[in-house]
Amino acid sequence: MAGSSSWSRALMQISPYTFASIGIAISIGVSVLGAAWGIYITGSSLIGAAIKAPRITSKNLISVIFCEAVAIYGVIVAIILQTKLESVPDSQIYAPESLRAGYAIFASGIIVGFANLVCGLCVGIIGSSCALSDAQNSTLFVKILVIEIFGSALGLFGVIVGIIMSSQATWPAKTA
Amino acid sequence: MRQPYFPLLLLNVSQSDQFLSRTFLSDTSILFHCSQIEAMAGVMQKFILASMIMWVAPMAILYGFNHHIIPGSGQLSSSSQTLLSGFLAVISVNLVIVFYIIMAMKEPANRESQPDPAFLAEAKASINQSATTTSNPDAQSRDKVE
Repeated sequence: MAGSSSWSRALMQISPYTFASIGIAISIGVSVLGAAWGIYITGSSLIGAAIKAPRITSKNLISVIFCEAVAIYGVIVAIILQTKLESVPDSQIYAPESLRAGYAIFASGIIVGFANLVCGLCVGIIGSSCALSDAQNSTLFVKILVIEIFGSALGLFGVIVGIIMSSQATWPAKTA
Repeated sequence: MRQPYFPLLLLNVSQSDQFLSRTFLSDTSILFHCSQIEAMAGVMQKFILASMIMWVAPMAILYGFNHHIIPGSGQLSSSSQTLLSGFLAVISVNLVIVFYIIMAMKEPANRESQPDPAFLAEAKASINQSATTTSNPDAQSRDKVE
């Protein structure tokens, strides 16, 4: 199975711990990237619009809270994933079940990281438009908030699938 | 936030009277800044409180499940413990968001940017007074030019 093609041999010789650790790093790193992107887009528009309309600041911080929640989702999943990382004895490192667990943690990290990246970006751009239009006409705020809630649900989908994926990452038992 | 001439626009002051009205500038801007700083402090307090709870609550839930502090978490299998702790943490973050939205929407809309009415009446009265006194020297200077 792994004997003929050199690529598949190379991939299967990579330790599952590598994949799992990269998954954990991506889940927190890329989530925080998305959250930071969203916060600086929203924050700069909010501060600029608040020059002429200071009343908008209290309500429009909701957009910043949505972006921060995206970062917290990444932290939650990273903590969950690192509790799933167990040591297995040397003989079992390349067993199929070990590889499966390693790939599951890797995939969970990628799912959560990239879902939160685009969610943070989406909420950031909507939040910036929300601040600018609220400064002009305060009846628009609630309508744009509905759009923002839909945008923030995207990150939630990624987190749910990532948690379900990581819950069945079981390493082989220690007794070889 | 820096709108020192806003009360002058409210009072419809003409160009010649703005010079006299600038004496009211420092008092007005102090009144503005006090109410605006109070409003901003309340907003920041709520925001910081919500952010802190948003961080602490899911961490506490995950810690409780992983170290079996929460009663009943010891009997769960590993996969269901992961699922339950993960979903409870995410739900707690969303509850804090909903709570913050409710708190933010409840705030009254136009609390700041209304200067004290007694001060406003005084300022208006003195401007009208100075308008009548300055109109006479203007007429005199026009006569001199002619």
